[in-house]
Amino acid sequence: MRYCGVFRYSLSVFLIWASVITVWAQETKPIINASLVGSVIDATTKDPIEGATVQLEAVTHSVKTDRNGRFSFVTGQKLPFRLTVTSVGYRTQNLVIEKSSTVIELNRSTEDLDEVVVVGYTTIAKKNLIGAVDRVSQQAVKDIPTGSFDAQLQGKVAGMQVAASTGIPGEALHVRLRGATSINADNNPLYVIDGVFLNSESLQTINTGGKATSPIADLSPSDIEYVEVLKDAEATALYGSRGANGVILITTKRGKNSQSAKIDVNLYSGRGKAAKLWELTTGPEHAELVNEYFRNIGQAEPFRPVADGGRGLPSEQQTYDRLAEAFRTAGVHNVDLSVYGGSENTAYYLSAGYNKQESILKPISFDRANFRFNLDQKVNNNLKIGSSNGISRTGRNQGRAGDGPQGGILQAALHTPTYLSPYNEEGVLVGRAGFDNLTLLLDNYDVGSTSLRYIGNVYGEYQITPALKFRSTFSVDYNNYNEHEYWNKLLIAGSGANGLATSAISQSTTWINEQTLTYRKRLDARHTIGALLGNTLQGSYFSLTSAEGRGFATDDFTLINTAATTTSNQDWDQYKLASFFGRVDYAFEDKYLLDFSLRADGSSKFNKGYQWGYFPAIGVAWRLSKESFLQDVAFLDDLKLKTSYGLTGNQNGINSFASRQLWSGVGSSYRGVAGIFPEQLANQELSWETTSQFNLGLDAALLNNRLTTSLNYYYKYTTDGLLTEVLPGTTGFSSFTNNAVEISNKGFELSISSLNINSDVFSWNTSFNIARNINNIEKLETPQNYGSRDLIQFREGFPMYSFWVYNQLYVDPQTGDAVYEDVDGNGRITTDDRQILGSIWPDYFGGLSNDFSYKNFDLSTFFTFSVGNKIYNHNRFFGEAGGARDAARIIFKSNLDRWQQPGDITDVPRSDGVNNNNYKDGGGRWLEDGSYLRFRTLSLGYNFTAKNLGKLPLSKLRIYAQATNLFTITKYTGLDPESAANSAANQQGIDLGTPPQPRSFQLGVNLTL
Amino acid sequence: MRTKFLYLFYIVLFTSCSSFLEVDPKSSISGEGIIKDETSANAAISGVYDALRSYYSVDYQSIAYLSGDNVQWTGSQSQVQEFINNIVNPENSTIASTWNGIYTTINRANNVINTLDNYEGDGIPAAVKDNVLGQAYAIRGLAYFDLVRVWGGVPLITEPTEKVGDNIGIERSTVEQTYQQVIDDLNLAEDLLPSATDRFAFTKKTVWALKARYHLYQKNWEEARDYAKLLIDDQSNYELIAPYYSFFKNNVTGTRESVFELFYSANEANPHRAQWQPQTNGGTRQWAPSEELIALLTNASTAGARSQLIARDNQNRWYGDLYYRSTGADPTYVIRIAELYLIRAEAYAELEEYDLAVDDLNSVRERALLVGRSYTTSKTDVLLWIEDERRLEFAFEAHRWFDLVRTGRAQQVLGVTESFRLLLPIPYSQILADPALKQNPNYSS
Repeated sequence: MRYCGVFRYSLSVFLIWASVITVWAQETKPIINASLVGSVIDATTKDPIEGATVQLEAVTHSVKTDRNGRFSFVTGQKLPFRLTVTSVGYRTQNLVIEKSSTVIELNRSTEDLDEVVVVGYTTIAKKNLIGAVDRVSQQAVKDIPTGSFDAQLQGKVAGMQVAASTGIPGEALHVRLRGATSINADNNPLYVIDGVFLNSESLQTINTGGKATSPIADLSPSDIEYVEVLKDAEATALYGSRGANGVILITTKRGKNSQSAKIDVNLYSGRGKAAKLWELTTGPEHAELVNEYFRNIGQAEPFRPVADGGRGLPSEQQTYDRLAEAFRTAGVHNVDLSVYGGSENTAYYLSAGYNKQESILKPISFDRANFRFNLDQKVNNNLKIGSSNGISRTGRNQGRAGDGPQGGILQAALHTPTYLSPYNEEGVLVGRAGFDNLTLLLDNYDVGSTSLRYIGNVYGEYQITPALKFRSTFSVDYNNYNEHEYWNKLLIAGSGANGLATSAISQSTTWINEQTLTYRKRLDARHTIGALLGNTLQGSYFSLTSAEGRGFATDDFTLINTAATTTSNQDWDQYKLASFFGRVDYAFEDKYLLDFSLRADGSSKFNKGYQWGYFPAIGVAWRLSKESFLQDVAFLDDLKLKTSYGLTGNQNGINSFASRQLWSGVGSSYRGVAGIFPEQLANQELSWETTSQFNLGLDAALLNNRLTTSLNYYYKYTTDGLLTEVLPGTTGFSSFTNNAVEISNKGFELSISSLNINSDVFSWNTSFNIARNINNIEKLETPQNYGSRDLIQFREGFPMYSFWVYNQLYVDPQTGDAVYEDVDGNGRITTDDRQILGSIWPDYFGGLSNDFSYKNFDLSTFFTFSVGNKIYNHNRFFGEAGGARDAARIIFKSNLDRWQQPGDITDVPRSDGVNNNNYKDGGGRWLEDGSYLRFRTLSLGYNFTAKNLGKLPLSKLRIYAQATNLFTITKYTGLDPESAANSAANQQGIDLGTPPQPRSFQLGVNLTL
Repeated sequence: MRTKFLYLFYIVLFTSCSSFLEVDPKSSISGEGIIKDETSANAAISGVYDALRSYYSVDYQSIAYLSGDNVQWTGSQSQVQEFINNIVNPENSTIASTWNGIYTTINRANNVINTLDNYEGDGIPAAVKDNVLGQAYAIRGLAYFDLVRVWGGVPLITEPTEKVGDNIGIERSTVEQTYQQVIDDLNLAEDLLPSATDRFAFTKKTVWALKARYHLYQKNWEEARDYAKLLIDDQSNYELIAPYYSFFKNNVTGTRESVFELFYSANEANPHRAQWQPQTNGGTRQWAPSEELIALLTNASTAGARSQLIARDNQNRWYGDLYYRSTGADPTYVIRIAELYLIRAEAYAELEEYDLAVDDLNSVRERALLVGRSYTTSKTDVLLWIEDERRLEFAFEAHRWFDLVRTGRAQQVLGVTESFRLLLPIPYSQILADPALKQNPNYSS
C-alpha cells in the first residue's frame, strides 16, 4: 500500500463510481398501487411537526412533512404499510398503517442521548460513542463578542484550554487540548470545517511585536451549527497524521429537506472598555525615584533646580497621561442574516454577515464580511450531491502592541515616562525615551491587512445498498492575505528611510480529495457491524511576494512604485500527504461496543523509507445500564464505561524540507553576485512524531436524564518528538531537525450537566467542567531557552513552558538588597542559580454556566477559571527599575514600595541600577500567580411569544442584553491574566505591552421570520 | 452529468502515483556537487563573504568597541551592558551568535577549499580557481584571527561539515596553534591571489595588510613594519584621504582610504546603523558615545576633523554617526590605510625608531586636522600617543578592546580587576552542545 496504492485506490474509486452510475441508469419507476396521506403531530402539544421523515419499510422511498405536518405519497406497495417516522428531537416511531389519512403522534425525546456525533468520517449515536468527544452548540456562545469562534469555546469543553493572549479582536489564541505534545512541531488542534482541513497558521509577515492574526477569525461564528471536540485516540485516530493535538470539527448550518424557508436575523451592538489600566507614577513621583537612585549611587540628583543645571525640582514636574490617549471605548457591531429551507430534494442555507470590532487600543480594529452558501441536492433516491462554500473578507487595522519593534503603541503610551512632555521647547511634538510620540503615532499609523478566504467543498454521496454508502469530496481552503505598512517621516520607523512602505501578499492553498466507503448493518436484534474504508490526498501550497520601498518624495506618496529604493522578496513552500484509513466497529445488543481503526499517512516532508506512519487505535465500551443487574435501578438511565488506546502522528510545524541536505541561494549575494551556501544538514531518518494515548472514561445519565456526567482519565506519551536539535557552532550549522524528544501529558476531565429545576414557568440548568493536565518533558538532551531573555526553558523532568528565573527570597531590611536563592551554594549569584519556578500550566481549569428561564425571560451566567498557572509580568520588570532607567522608561506606582531605609520590610529592593543584583534580568520577583476566576458572560433575554408578536410576520423574537468580562478575581497584578506578549507557541505566559480583553456591554436581537 | 461526477476522479486517477509525495524545494537545492563551474564557484565565494559580512556587521564589532570605553548603553538588555561592565557571562547571546557566525563562515570557506582543492574538471579556469580558493583561505585566516583575539585557542576546523556528526567533539587548540592556522591560511592565500587592488574582496594586497596586523599582534615588529610599508608605499592606490571624515561622509564607499571593507547596499543591507542612530533617524540609539568620548570629540584640540563622528538629535543627545545610511549601505571598515600607518608607527616605536614612529603618527593626525606630536625618545610616550590615536581614529570600529588587551593595558585603562576576563568566556550554549569544549579559566560554567 505504498506508492502505487494511490493509483490502485484511485482505480477502485473509479470502478465503484462506474458501477454506481450503472445502478442509477437501471432504476425503474414504481408501479402505482396505493397512496397514503396523513399528518404528523407533537403528542403533547398537538402542534404539527414540519420536516418529519416518513419512510416505508423495505423501500428507500421516504417523504417529509410540510409546514402543516402533512405528507402524502404513492407507492407500489399495498396497504397495510409499515412506516418509520423520524424527526429530530422526537423518538422514532415504527408503526403499521391500515388505512390512508392517518394522524401520527410523536413523543419528544427527553434525552439527548439519541444525538448523533460525527467521529472520524462516520456518524455514531452518542450513546454508542467510545471516544472522548464533546459537543458545543454554537447557539449558546455565538454572541460573545470575540473575533473568532474558538475564543467563544473558552471554558465550555473540559480539557480544552483557551487563553485569549490579547484583547485585540481577531488575533491568535493559545488553544491546547489535553496539554501539548511537541517542542518544535505544532501544538494547535486540527480544525476541520465541514470536512475541510483548515490552515490555522497565521500568514502574517509584518511585525506587530510577536503577535499574529488568527486565520480562524475568518469564519463567522453565526454560521456554525455546532462544534465537536475530539480528544482521545479513538476519536482522533482517523485524523492520524494531524490528530495528535486533538481535532475540532466544525459543522456549519444547513437547510433541511421539506422545510419552508426561514429567515434568521441576528443583530448586536456593544461597547467595550479596559476594566483597568496600569498604575503609573506621576511626574513628581517619578522624579523623586530618579533622584533617589542617583543619591544611592553617589551622583548628583538630576531633578534639582533649573538654575543649578537640573531639570527642576520633583514637585515642579508635570504629569502627562498617555494611557488615556491611547485607550478608548471600543465599539462592537454585528449583523448577520441567513435564509434556509428546502424542498423535497433540495436543501439550502444562505447567509451573509458583517462584524466590526474596535480594539480598546487605538487605532486597531477588525472587521469581517462573510457569505455562505450550503446546498444539498438529492439527485435520486440513491445519489446526493452538495456543496459548502464560505467566503469572507477580513480587514484589520493593525498596531504593534506587543514586544519590541519601533512604532510600538504601548511603548509610546505605557513606557514613556509620565513627566516628559509630548512637546519640545519649540512646541513641536517629539517622541521621548526612544519611542514614538504617541499623538503622531496614532495620527499616522498605517498598518493593515486584508484576508480573502474561501473555504468550501463539493461532495457526492451514493447509497449503494441501504447499508453501504460511498462518498467522495473535494475541498479547498484558499487564503489570500494582503498586508501593507506605511511609515512616514514623522514616525521613527519611517524617519531614517525617508518614508518606508512594505507590501506583502501571501497565498495559501490547501486542497483535499477524500473517498470513503461506509457500511453499517444491524445484522439482527443483537449484532450491529460497521466498516469504513477511505483515502485522502492533500496538498498545501504557500507563496509570498513582498516589496519594500524607501525614500518618498512627500508623505502623500505611499505606493512603493514612488519610492527611491525598492527591494523585493519571494518565498514558496509546498508539502503533500497521502492517507489510507479503515475502521471496523461492532456492537452487541448496544451493550458491548468495540472498534478498531488504522490509518496510514505518507508525508512529503520525510525521505523515502521514512515517509509512512501507521496509526492504529482500538476502543471498547460497556454500557452497564443495559445489564440486567442494573435494569431495576430506577434513577440510572445510562451508564457507560469506555476505554481506548491508539497512536496519532504529527509532522506539522516543521520545515517542508527538513530532512534534506540543502544549499540555499537566499539573501547571500555579495556585491550583486548571487551567492550560495550550505544551509542545512540532512537527517535521512527524520520521521513522524508519534503520540500514544490511553483513555478511560465513564459516562452516566441519572434521574430521568436530568443529571449527566462524564469523567475521563487520559495518559498521552509522545515519542520521536520533533526537535530543532542544537549542533555545536563548530559545525557551521546551528541545528538540525531530529526525532529526539519525549513528552507526557496526563490528566482528567470531568463535566457535569444538570437540569436542577424544570417546571412550566421556571427552569434552571447548570453545566460545570474541570480539567487537570500534567505536562512533563520526559526526554530532552540539552535544555532549550526561549525568549530574548531566556525566561522560558524547556528541560527534561519539567513541564514545557517552564519559567527559568532567579528566586528572590526577600529584601534585606538592613541593606535594601534583594537576596536570591544561591542554588549551588557557591556564595555568588550566577546563571547556575537560575531555577525553574512554575510553568504556564494551570493545576485546574474549567467553566461553570447557569442558565435560567422564567416565563419569557432567560438569564445565563458563565464563569471560567484557571488555578495555579504562572505569569511573568514583564511590564513590571521595566516599570520597577527603581529610577535607574531615569528618562528612558516609565516607573510603576508599585515601585513606590521600595526599600528606603534600614528596617523597611518590602519585596521591592533599594534602587541601585538596572541589571545589577536588585533589578536583575530574569529576576523571580516578577513571576506571579496567574490564577483567576472570570465572570465571562452575563446575559438576560426576553422571548416574545406568538401572542406578543400579534400580526408581525415573525415566528421568533428575542431581545437581550449581555455583559462580557464583568469582573475577574485574581492576584495577578497585570491587567489580564490571559495576556501573553508573543503568539509564538513557546513563549506563552510572558506579559509585555499587551492590551487586556475589554469589559463590554451589548444589546442584541435574534429574530426568525 | 455523469461526466461531471467522473471528472473529479479522473484527476485522482491520472495523478502519477509514485511521484505524488515527491516535492522539491525551490529556494534551495538538495544534493552534492553543487560547486561545479565558474558561476557556481563565484556564487560559493559570494556565500562566504556573506557569512563574513554577517558576523562583522554588528556582533563582532560590538564586542570590540562596547568592551572599550567609547560607548555607553541606553537599552535594557543585560547582554550589552555586560560588555560595557567588562563582566561578560557565558550565557551572553552576542558571544554565542558571534561564535556561531564565525564558524559558519569557516564552514562555508571549508566547502569552497575542499571542493576546489579536489577539483579535477575543466569547467573552472585555473585563474578563477586560484582566485576563489585564495579568497577562501584568506577569509578563513581572518576568521581564525577573529576567534583567537576574543577567546584564545579554539577548535581548528578545516574540513567541511557534510553530515551530522562531523566537526563535533574537536578540542580547543592552543593560542599558538590557532595563530599558526591564521598565518598558514594567509600564506596560502598570498600565493594564490593576484596582486590587484580590490577594496571589497581579498587580493594579495589585502592579505599583506592583514599580515601586518597579524605580526603586530604577534609582536614581530619588523614583519609588521614591512608588510605595512607594502601598502603605504602603494600610493597610487591607497592614501590617507583628508579630512578624516572623507572616508565615510556623503555616502561614499570604497574610497582610496579603504584597504578592505565589506560591501552593503539596499539589497544587501547593513543593520548596524539602527544601533547608533537616534529615533528621529529611525534608529534606537541604544549604543551612544560615552561621556568621555563626547568630551574628547567636542574639544577642538583632541577632536579635529573627527568631531564629525558624533552628532546631536532633536533632544540634544549625542549619537554616533559613522553608520548612518538610511538604505543600510554603510560599509564595515575592516582595514583602512590609517591602520597600516599606525601599525608601522607602533612597530617603529617598538624598534626604537621614534622619529619615524612620530612621522607615521602625525600623518594620521594631520589628516584629522590635529596638531602633530613632537619628536621624542620616550617609548612610553609614543606608545601612549599611538594608543590614544587609535582610540579616536577607530572610535566605532572593531579595535579598542583588542588593542588594549594586546598591549596589556586593558586592566589599567578599563579598570578590569580580574585578568581572566581579558579572554571572553566560551558561549555556555556551545559547552552544552559539545562537551569537548572546555571553558576559559575562572568562568563559572
